Amino acid sequence: MASRPNRIRPIRRPIMNKEASEFEPCWDILRGALTDIHNKNASRLSFENLYRASYKIVLKKKGELLYQNVKSFEEGWFRTHVLPPISELVTSNLVNIALLQNAAASAHERRQMGERFLRGIRTTWEDHNTSMNMIADILMYLERTYTAEARQPSIFAATIGLFRDHILRNSLGGASDHLDRPFVIFDILNAVVLDLINMERDGDIVDRNLVRDATSMLEAIYETDDEPENAKLYLTVFEPRFLAASQLFYRIECEKLLRDADASAWLRHAQRRLREEQDRCETTLSLLTADKITKVVDQELIVAKMHDFLAMDGTGLKSMIDNDRHEDLSILYHLISRVDKSKSALKASLQTRVMDLGLDIEQSLRDTDFTAPAAPADADEPAEGADKAKPQPLSAAAQQTAAAIKWVDEVLRLKDKFDTLSTTCFENDLVLQSAVTKSFSDFINMFSRSSEFVSLFIDDSLKRGLKGKSDDDVEVVLQKAVVLIRYLADRDLFERYYQKHLARRLLHQKSETHVEKELVRRMKAELGNHFTAKFEGMFRDMELSKDLSENYRDHVRNLGDVDTKKVELGIHVLTTNNWPPEVMGRGAATQEDRGIVNCIFPPSIKRLQDSFFSYYLKDRSGRILTWVASAGSADVKCVFPKVPGKETGPLSKERRYEINVSTYGMIVLDLFNHLADGESLSFEEIQAKTNIPTLDLVRTLSSLSIPPKSRVLAKEPMSKNVKTTDRFAFNTSFASKTIKIKAPVINSSSKVEDSDERKQTELKNDQTRCHVVDAAIVRIMKQRRELTHTQLTSEVINQLVGRFNPDVGMIKRRIEDLLGREYLERIEIGDAPAYRYLA
Amino acid sequence: MAQSQYVTLVSSDGYEFVVLREAVLVSPTMKGMLRSQFQEAQTGRCTFPEISAVVLEMVVDYFHYWYRNRDKEDVPDIEIPVEMCLELLLAAAYFGLEPPSRGGTTW
Repeated sequence: MASRPNRIRPIRRPIMNKEASEFEPCWDILRGALTDIHNKNASRLSFENLYRASYKIVLKKKGELLYQNVKSFEEGWFRTHVLPPISELVTSNLVNIALLQNAAASAHERRQMGERFLRGIRTTWEDHNTSMNMIADILMYLERTYTAEARQPSIFAATIGLFRDHILRNSLGGASDHLDRPFVIFDILNAVVLDLINMERDGDIVDRNLVRDATSMLEAIYETDDEPENAKLYLTVFEPRFLAASQLFYRIECEKLLRDADASAWLRHAQRRLREEQDRCETTLSLLTADKITKVVDQELIVAKMHDFLAMDGTGLKSMIDNDRHEDLSILYHLISRVDKSKSALKASLQTRVMDLGLDIEQSLRDTDFTAPAAPADADEPAEGADKAKPQPLSAAAQQTAAAIKWVDEVLRLKDKFDTLSTTCFENDLVLQSAVTKSFSDFINMFSRSSEFVSLFIDDSLKRGLKGKSDDDVEVVLQKAVVLIRYLADRDLFERYYQKHLARRLLHQKSETHVEKELVRRMKAELGNHFTAKFEGMFRDMELSKDLSENYRDHVRNLGDVDTKKVELGIHVLTTNNWPPEVMGRGAATQEDRGIVNCIFPPSIKRLQDSFFSYYLKDRSGRILTWVASAGSADVKCVFPKVPGKETGPLSKERRYEINVSTYGMIVLDLFNHLADGESLSFEEIQAKTNIPTLDLVRTLSSLSIPPKSRVLAKEPMSKNVKTTDRFAFNTSFASKTIKIKAPVINSSSKVEDSDERKQTELKNDQTRCHVVDAAIVRIMKQRRELTHTQLTSEVINQLVGRFNPDVGMIKRRIEDLLGREYLERIEIGDAPAYRYLA
Repeated sequence: MAQSQYVTLVSSDGYEFVVLREAVLVSPTMKGMLRSQFQEAQTGRCTFPEISAVVLEMVVDYFHYWYRNRDKEDVPDIEIPVEMCLELLLAAAYFGLEPPSRGGTTW
């Protein structure tokens, strides 16, 4: 089979005949056709005929000749037919206006001339482009074979390039004589287009299509005939100039806006410009430029002077925030999000504003006189409450409480304000939210009494506010409370205050238990089990005590021992650790340097106590019960005999009242049972007989001898204050409209601490913190065995930050202390001072 | 004027083939012929004075073959009489149907 190898034979019978395949006749056909095409007479030509002519020339290997011929034909055509009308368009007037920015010409004049020029260019370009497309179609076979093989630019690119070389890059000889620099038509084109765009920016109406056609033309022409995608004239020449011109335009515009000094106008202007430029790219220029031009606007109009605008008096960011100009703020947010992902300028301004407003609240508290507004916490506020310096405990405290509540209200209002801003203007931006939250937390914690005030606010809301309110209202209060707690850094301090206030509320049944429990439940969710353990313990104690009291009552009834002088006992058994030391009677210990004060109870009460004690210990041996007289209350039935000599009015009859007093009050009143008519007791005598601490006794006697509604004791001399030298007697002429009377229990109204009490609280808190820090250090060291000082410090801070911000100095002192107690020893790791745990 | 869906191809010996315009457009040459403002584009009638009916018929067959199978895979080969190979090769070049790597059709 391989013996006779196949050969491919040359073509013997070509499909075209010989004489027609010569070059000259074919070129003649084509040349005629080119002229016809330029003159728009193509419709009578046969495409097939022309195609075949070029096809044959290529088959004859005359492709190169054809290529060159077409090129030189086109160059010739350009010289004779295209350039003359163009150079007519380029009048020296146009050159003056376009390149020298001749100010003498009006905008109208400039526009007219520029548009005429662009129209001329457009016509020429469109003709040229159409012709070149048709010619390229005819010469398709040439393009496919010769130009591809010879690595020449396609005939289309080459002929389109003529437009670039002979028109755009034409200096038109003498026309530039009076300019000091050379120029080409392209320069004029650019200048005219840019001028038109600036006119449009200034509000003129220009022929957008014309501009669009000019830029499309530039997009279709390349720097060289190889036509690399990134070398479009639009990108290489026009766009940079456009961007530079825009930059200048917006820089000037921005400075003008700055002079007018209206940040609000600036915002709207910038927003409008951005929209316009985007729009311009879509309709007039090219989408290729959209991103770049908006960057220019971002930079020149927004970023460049942003801080100046934001700082403006009256319209700047401060006033936007203060006056709730939400629209301005949302525009601002959008603009800033464009230019800065972290929005640092806005963030910083917001933070300062929050801080300032927060500190303003504190300042205004200091400036406000709280004597004037009725402090509703205590109805019977003495009139001369303005006298702050000398203790008028009731009024000063009430004022302070009002101040605390005002502070909290203001803070909440501020918080609401910024929440609204966040949702309506800042799209709930997380970065901004957390920044604002941080600032809130900062200024709240800068205010040294925030923990106490927040607790007071909750106390006030729960005590007064909730009765008869709907669940929704309650919900609002609860939410506010949790929001505030979240901000507090010194949570241990808050815990201390809250515990104290909660204790009062529970013992005096001032609030509704289910709301209290709900709030604690939320705190638990927010701050963890540890935080609420004591509060829950308090609730538990209350519930157990309720059962206990009932059981005891049953027990007594079953005993049949009726003769307890009809004293009913309701008892709260409180677990020491869960309740604040003040309530447990230990508060006084540090204050007056005494042990637990045991006041002397009247015998009838004493019997009752013993009876309960023995009942209690029946099931729970080994426990110790301590009576906390300061925390209890009693209903005392009093009989006021008829006053001799009075025949009319309430005093003419015997009166029976039921007075609700504190336990101390009951003890004091009991003393007067044993006095004869007309006898009186001095303060010292009362104290000696009862052993009630001075401060408590003053309070007790105040409540019984000063307010007219509960003045069952007559004081000598009559004054608004109880002094240790006063004498007290049974007020026989006491009368009341109601049977049940409540002696104001001064002790129970929660109030702001004065500075001494405050120091006490802080001192106690610091002591607790010392223990907590100790525990943390030991816990960490036990696990890690060895640690450098810095590591240890940061670990301790990490562990404790949820409860309070530990002071580094304190940590250091505690470490020293633990070294002294030989829990730790000093070592060195590397060069760093370090510690080792000694088990 | 709405363009007709069909175009007429005329061979050197006077045979006329009416072909779906879309099918014809597979050839770049035909595409150029029909899109410009030349005679053919206006009349929809393309004359090929140097292509015989035999060859043109095969070309038209191919246009249809391409059009039918344009979206399919695993297309069966088209049958080509061996004696016409050379002429068809030239016609393919003329119509710009050359690069075999693209379509994968056997010409």
